[in-house]
Formats: sequence, C-alpha cells, structure tokens
Amino acid sequence: MRIVIAEDSTILRQGLVELLTFRGHEVVAAVKDAEALRAAVEENSPDVSIVDIRMPPTHTDEGLRAAISLRRDSPGRAILLFSQYVETKYAAQLLADRAGGVGYLLKDRVAEVSDFLDALRRVADGETVLDPEVVSQLFSATRQTDALSGLTPREREVLGLMAEGRSNSAIAAKLFLSAGSVEKYVTSIFGKLGLPPSEGDNRRVLAVLRYLDT
Amino acid sequence: MGRTRRPRQTGTVTSLDVPRPHLLRRVFGPLAARDFWAEYAWLWLSGPLTLFSLLSFLVVLAVGLGLTPVLLGFLVLAGAIFYVRGLGAAHRGLARKLLGVSVPAPRRPELKPGLWAWVRARVGDPAGWRTAGYLLLRLPLTFAGLFTMVVATLYALAATPFAFFWFPMGEQHLPIFDIYAGNWAGALAWSASGLLVLVALPWVTHAFVALDRLLVVGLLGTRELSERVRDLEASRATAVEDAALRLRRIERDLHDGAQAQLVALAMKLGLAKDELEDLDLPQVKQLVTAAHTNAKQALTELRDLARGIHPAALDAGLDVALATLVATSGMDARVAVDLPRRPPPSLETIVYFSAAELLTNAAKHGGTTTYVEVTEERDVLWLRVRDRGRGGARLVPGGGLAGVAERLRTVDGELTVASPVGGPTEVTARVPMPR
Repeated sequence: MRIVIAEDSTILRQGLVELLTFRGHEVVAAVKDAEALRAAVEENSPDVSIVDIRMPPTHTDEGLRAAISLRRDSPGRAILLFSQYVETKYAAQLLADRAGGVGYLLKDRVAEVSDFLDALRRVADGETVLDPEVVSQLFSATRQTDALSGLTPREREVLGLMAEGRSNSAIAAKLFLSAGSVEKYVTSIFGKLGLPPSEGDNRRVLAVLRYLDT
Repeated sequence: MGRTRRPRQTGTVTSLDVPRPHLLRRVFGPLAARDFWAEYAWLWLSGPLTLFSLLSFLVVLAVGLGLTPVLLGFLVLAGAIFYVRGLGAAHRGLARKLLGVSVPAPRRPELKPGLWAWVRARVGDPAGWRTAGYLLLRLPLTFAGLFTMVVATLYALAATPFAFFWFPMGEQHLPIFDIYAGNWAGALAWSASGLLVLVALPWVTHAFVALDRLLVVGLLGTRELSERVRDLEASRATAVEDAALRLRRIERDLHDGAQAQLVALAMKLGLAKDELEDLDLPQVKQLVTAAHTNAKQALTELRDLARGIHPAALDAGLDVALATLVATSGMDARVAVDLPRRPPPSLETIVYFSAAELLTNAAKHGGTTTYVEVTEERDVLWLRVRDRGRGGARLVPGGGLAGVAERLRTVDGELTVASPVGGPTEVTARVPMPR
C-alpha cells in the first residue's frame, strides 16, 4: 500500500514509518501537521492515510477536521484516524458522510502489529473500522435508546463486531457461530433498524451509525 | 497584626503547673522587655517624624493650591499626594519595625495614559488623602504621648532615687517637679511615687501606642475590606487558572513524551513478537511476549492517569468531555450541556471533575438512569445531577459530596443536595461565571 502519515510526535512518526516499511508498504510522505497532510495527500493520492487527531497548533482535533475536509473534497478517501483517546463524538463526525473507508483507532492498537495492519488494509479497501473501545462505548447502557432496544443481546454483540469492521465470517469465527446464523442475525438487525435491503454492503455502515446517532 | 507579646502579658502565666514568676520579675519585667523599648522608641521617633511629615506635606500642598490657576499647580498637587503616599510608606515601615504591625500597602491608583488622566488619578488617590488624615490625627496624639513620656521619664528618674539623696546629703529640694521632703518618710514617699511611675511607664506607653496602632491599621493600609476581597479574588482566580493550565501542560507533556515513547516501544515489541513467530526460540519468545504485555499495560495505566490529570476531551468543551466520560464509564446517564459560551478552562475542569464525582456517587446510591444537566443562567453556571434512586445522600465531612463542595468553593461555587430517603436525588452545583 502507498501510505501517508500525519503525526506530530517524531518518535511515533518514525516508528510507524519503520513498521510499515518493514512490512513492505511504501510510506510516500510522513508529515507533522494538518496542512502538510493536505498537501501530501493531494500530491500523492495514497491508498490510505494515517492521521493523528491531536496535532499542532491547538492539539485538539486538527487531524479530524483535516480528515473531514479531505473526504469532503474527495468522498471515500481512505483515512485511519489515530488517537490517544477515544471520543464517540469524533467517531460520529467522521462517519457522518457515510462513504466508508474510515477508521478510528486508539494509538495503543499498533502494539498488535498484524491487527493494526489488517485494520489499515480494510480501511484502504473502503470498510469502516472502529476501535473496540469506541464500540464498547457505543454499547454501554447509556446508548440503548428506543431504536436499539429491540435488539437481542446476541444481535448487539454481532452489531458490535460489525462496527469494529469485521466481516461476517470473522464474526462467525469470533462468536463460534456458523456463517449462516451470523447472516441471519445481520439480516434481523437490518430489519429491526429499518434499513432497506437495497443498500447492500453500505447497510453495515448505516447500522453502526444508528448507534452513533442515538 | 498585633504582636504576640505585650508588657501586660509578660509574666502573667497563671497555669497551675507553672510556678508564678518572682514578684520583682512581674513588676519590673515589662521595663526590661524589648517590646517596651521598641514602643518607647516609637513614641520618641514618630513625634518628630510626624511633625516633619505633616509640615513638609502642607507646604507642598499649599504651593500646589496656590498655583492651581496655572497648570503647574495641579502637577505640584499631584506631586504632594504622591509624596504623602511615600510618607505613609515610611510610617508603615517604622510601625512594622518597631510595633510589629504589618499593614498591606494600599492599592496603587490606576494610571491611565495622558498627563491630565495622570494628574486626576494622582490627586484623586484616596490612599494619599488617608495618609494626610493620618498625619493630622497623629500630630496631637503623638505630642500628647511624647509629652507624657518625657514628663513620666523625668519624674521617675528624679523621684525614684530621691530617698537615697535625702539621707546622706540632706538635700531637701530638687530643682524639678518641686520635689521636697521635710523628713525621711516624705523622701521615701517621693521615691515610692517615682517607682510607681516607672513601673506604670510600659503600660502608659502601650496605651498610647495602641491608639497609634489603630490609626496605622485604619488609615495607612488597604482601606476597605471589599478592596482586600477584590484583591484576594483576583489573586485566587489567577492561582486557580494557573493550576488548570499547569495540569493541562502536564497532560500534554505526558501525551507527547511518555505516551508516545511507550506506543513506539509497544509497537516495536509487537513487531518483534510477530517476527519471532516462526522461529524456534521459546525463551526469547516468552520474554518478548511478556515485555509486550507490560508495555501495553503501562500504556493503559498511563492513559488513565493522564485522563485523571486533565481529560483531553475537555479541550473540545464540556459537552464532549462529559459525553465521553459517561460513555467510557459505562454508567447509565444522559448528558445535556447547554452553554451559550465556553467557561474559562479552570471552571470547565472543576465542573467536569465535580460531575464525574457526582455521577460516581449517583451510580453508587442510585442505580437508575442519571441525568446530568449543565446550563448557564444570568452569569451563573448550573450543574444538576438527578437520579431516581433510593435517595438519602447527604453532605458528610470527608465524603464524596463534601469533596465536590470543597472543589467548588475554590471558585465561589456552592453545592446543594436534595435527597429525601426513597429518592429522588437532585444535587445542584452553582458556580458564578466571570462576566
């Protein structure tokens, strides 16, 4: 993959470059702020960009705003947001354009190298990947509003794994279910959330958004 | 403000366990005390000082008033007030040295640019005029005190030894105070009266100085309590703001430093672990795996620590921070933040941690959905936390609620708890917002 990295911490930026290069990816640019990110993305059109949320000058949500604006100009541009903390509001803003190809991970996740690279790959492929912590936040009791109260615990579990960006077969493996029964749960979730069948794969994203909206 | 030891207090320990000091010591002790000599010196020194201060000020003032028809007069007038302020400082300094009266200097007048504004601020400086009033009041008082001291000292010095002179020399008449005795009993009576005056000297001195103290405290210092309160409020606000900023900086340093290092470390260990996967090095594998686990654990702990110091989400505002808090904690709570403007960072931090504590409390005692509401009404920020739990929450010293009340008090906030047994509970924090 051709990758752009925007991360203000030198040690992390270099670490990521080393890691990705070591695993056979091409880091076309490694920059330290949102402005340079925009330039690098426009120049290189990478397969995916890894963007730190907190970057200079204010160290609040520069990365997020840059990501949203990049995706507005070029819908579906794959971006993996990288954060020390998980904030559901950020996730909601990021997913608001409903175009897929986004990820939101805690920085800690790079410790599990293959999982991280897998997530990066899936974002590049246009899937939505959310950190398990985001998902667990979304599934905390507070979020169980009317739209979701119709789901059974098992369905919630399945939806949670969907939100993490896992495929049906991965969900089946994780929950020790057959692919067929996962299929059934997913269909049932779509039905209960009132998602029309015609929207195909995008329904997975929409189902996740149901949580973020509530 | 007063001193700890005064002549009147010397040697009057009446505790049963402590033997009372010797009678002589009790009577003459005050004369030997440093306090007495300091006050004595004060009476002597401050008389001429007051006279000089007042006269020089009046001269400058008169010149200034005389010249008011020309602009120069106003300048001299302003100079006079400025000068008298300086005199006040000198008196304050002397009082601190000799009387131990520590009086904060009055506020400086707010100087605005422009000659006329400067003159107005200087001439209108209330502290200067108060010092002038102090000098005027001091003058008669100080001379009354000085006169009494001189007379008493001379009398004591002359009369006390009179009996000794009377016996050997037969001296019957002293040139001062008309001291005369026809027989030895009369001479002894004179001596006794001299001794009495000597012993009374510290008390009399102290009485005069006590009046001076009142004047110094009342007129030379910061005038109104409200002025003082304003100062304190301002300095406290700075301190609170400073603390909030410092915590934020610590959190950022952690984020940029230790956390980044640890992430990089965990990443490299993860990579090493993956690379070792296919090799037959069980011991090395085990070590790397353990190190990897440790690094990840350290990261989690460090993140929690940083969150406790300053939640990063607060940078985005109270609404984001509280929503994140509720989501992370897994508590059953609804958050509604409706603020027309952002409070200063220190207030946000205090409200955030108060809300966190109140939520924990509600979860402990309530067990039902908790509602958190933050609003602003007429320059007051309200934080309301409600639940329909079993109630009975109270403010007990050392408890969680008391901790919140303590935290709020640093910004003049108040906490009220309404929690009848059986519920519902409503805890309200009220924090004044700066305008």
